[in-house]
Amino acid sequence: MMKLLDISKKYGEITHKYPFEPYKVADNFRGKPAYIFDLCIGCAACGIACPSNAITVQFNNDQSKLIWEFDCGRCIFCGRCDEVCPTGAIKLSEEFELAVKFDKSALIQRGELDTQYCTTCNKPFSAKRLVKYSFECLSKANVSEKRLEEAKEYLCMCPTCKKTATVATFTSGKEMVIE
Amino acid sequence: MKCDKFIEALGTKVKILEVTRQCDDQVTALVELNDLPEAVRFLYYDMGGYLTTMIPNDERSINKHYALYYALSMEGGKMFEGDEIAQDEKCFVTIKTLISPDSLVFPSVTPLVPACVWYEREAYDMFGLVAEGLPDKRRLVLSDDWPDNLFPLRKDAMDYRYRPDMKEHYMEPEYEFLKPEGSGIIDVPLGPLHITADEPGHFRLFCDGDTIIDADYRLFYQHRGMEKLAENRMNYDQMGYLAERVCGICGYAHAIACIEAAEKAINLEIPARAQAIRIICSEIERLHSHLLNIGLACEVTGNYNAFMHIFRIREYSMKLAELVTGGRKTYGNVVMGGLRRDMTGVEIKESLRILQIIETQVDEVWDAVMDDKRQMSRWKGVGILDKQVARDFSPVGPNIRGSGIKRDTRYDHPYDFFTKLDFNVSVVEGGDVFAREMVRYMELKSSVSIIRQCFELMPQTAIIVDPKFHVKPENYALAYVEAPRGENVHWIMQGSAQKVFRWRCRAATYNNWPSLRFQFRGNNLADAALIVCSLDPCYSCTERVTVVDIKSKKSKILTNADLKNFARTQKDSPLKDLR
Ligand code: SF4
Ligand code: SF4
Repeated sequence: MMKLLDISKKYGEITHKYPFEPYKVADNFRGKPAYIFDLCIGCAACGIACPSNAITVQFNNDQSKLIWEFDCGRCIFCGRCDEVCPTGAIKLSEEFELAVKFDKSALIQRGELDTQYCTTCNKPFSAKRLVKYSFECLSKANVSEKRLEEAKEYLCMCPTCKKTATVATFTSGKEMVIE
Repeated sequence: MKCDKFIEALGTKVKILEVTRQCDDQVTALVELNDLPEAVRFLYYDMGGYLTTMIPNDERSINKHYALYYALSMEGGKMFEGDEIAQDEKCFVTIKTLISPDSLVFPSVTPLVPACVWYEREAYDMFGLVAEGLPDKRRLVLSDDWPDNLFPLRKDAMDYRYRPDMKEHYMEPEYEFLKPEGSGIIDVPLGPLHITADEPGHFRLFCDGDTIIDADYRLFYQHRGMEKLAENRMNYDQMGYLAERVCGICGYAHAIACIEAAEKAINLEIPARAQAIRIICSEIERLHSHLLNIGLACEVTGNYNAFMHIFRIREYSMKLAELVTGGRKTYGNVVMGGLRRDMTGVEIKESLRILQIIETQVDEVWDAVMDDKRQMSRWKGVGILDKQVARDFSPVGPNIRGSGIKRDTRYDHPYDFFTKLDFNVSVVEGGDVFAREMVRYMELKSSVSIIRQCFELMPQTAIIVDPKFHVKPENYALAYVEAPRGENVHWIMQGSAQKVFRWRCRAATYNNWPSLRFQFRGNNLADAALIVCSLDPCYSCTERVTVVDIKSKKSKILTNADLKNFARTQKDSPLKDLR
């Protein structure tokens, strides 16, 4: 019994003042993923990687917006979204105080991105930002002006139209620009 | 090759129809249905096996039958010095048998090998397979009001989202507890929910005065249907994370076991560095789990001071986990083929510093606890697990090592990096609470040394293999990891399209429950909570307890405080005005 008291004396007070002072977590702590809407291009890589389906990327009902949605209640803080995001729009933060009071909707975070419609058939197929991002990547990739112009056209087509268009070009006998 | 010796010996007893090899140390022998009990008994008692797990499986789509797999760990009976199989001959032998979907009946092994009892009860719940001759045919896993003819794990039974209607509470069938005969027996229910640990489990203690003469229990209030969930839709990337959520303490051990089962089924070798890190994380888990348990074993006996100190030290182990994995509890690290997160040199250095703190402080507090005569008198001679009972029921972890049986998966079937490490199995004779806590203390020390060795030997390789492997339908394998409470065993049969066909997950405590009854007998009611606690099952004491005196027909409701108080002070028996 006395020995235990000696130990208490030796180590003194060790409790933190939390929540009255902030609690410092370790470097590389895996807390709630923080989302930066301005960087998100709506590529849905995170949604595919997420093992617990915490992130979904879907069109809204009238397909005017691409909705990125994150449900913190489902998140297991594995960090896969962080790994795959090409623009760093989602990154694990140090936040660990995630409790909500009764209102579960407070756990949900949303981002609405403008839809890109197909220039040929007018079908919504992607987000405007993704198209813009792809074009920017191509511009930096040292391709010729002419090829870039072509790409601009193709990027704004939905996959089906793109395929038809490619086939049409090939069969029409028109010369392709080859780098 | 390994295992051949056992198959040969088995062949002299029963007719073996087919032998298949899963990996270096795992073989399966197919036997006739009627030979099943004898085959399992022979391997268990005559050849020195312990029951690892039993897997019922719906293989109608493969071979038009249901199948049962009794997996035995061949390691020797270990009842006396030298009663052990040579290190390089230890292996797993699985007895497989097929059951026709028309009869759905198989001969029970339980009368010959008591360790099978829970598995065979579960086989009925999940698949509707009836064990002929099983002494205890009550439901085990599913709730009492579950529809009679719905067997969830049959492939054609139900969607994983289906939830049958619940019965009104007064319509619910009564669960029958096994009662001892005799007059003057007081029936003490403990349960159904523990208020501090949030662990549901209902115990019935049958007492004569304050002495427990027998006990029975109803568990599985929290059955989550994970096996069904994974079978239907998950790929291997997701399964590791799901397995990690099986347990709130030894989750990482489950994650490794689950993923290693998938890896073994296709003989996928993972990089040495990933193996080392897997071991480090699971040993960190052992540190915090054992500290938790030793702390609680002090707390239920009223030694708050020691409890607080132990939890203070435990915080260092949580910090250690946070440092090297980024999460205090769920590490989200294991994927098929390796790991997702590496450790940096800075982290390793800091970890070594924390380990040093844990090591010295654990010694200080343990020394103080051992010095406390009152504490020792509460631990010594209480909740004895007899060696023969242990042999019969195949318990695992500190529970069996406290009864002087040297069973440790890390030693018997070294997985991953363990062959390169140096460690001693902690075995203590006695079988009482003290022995089990002593084992835990010794394991704390050995965990610290294992983690250090891993850091020192840390191989400089990648942490994940090139993901070019393919799963093979119908391949299966066992994987086992020594979790803090004993071995966690996972069995995976792979299916097509990167999905699992069958996943059987057996947590350590599953093997420890059936023998608990024997540990209760003859002990004082005040020690009930302590005995359950020393098993480290996510212990159970109670919110409210009803006591019924059969003789006087009086009953009394005890509050949690009453019972806790009695457990701590052993004064003022809450039953005294019933006598
Ligand atoms: S951290 Fe993991 S679970 Fe959470 S959103 Fe990202 S990928 Fe999904
Ligand atoms: S940009 Fe990042 S956050 Fe946005 S959808 Fe793609 S992966 Fe997700």
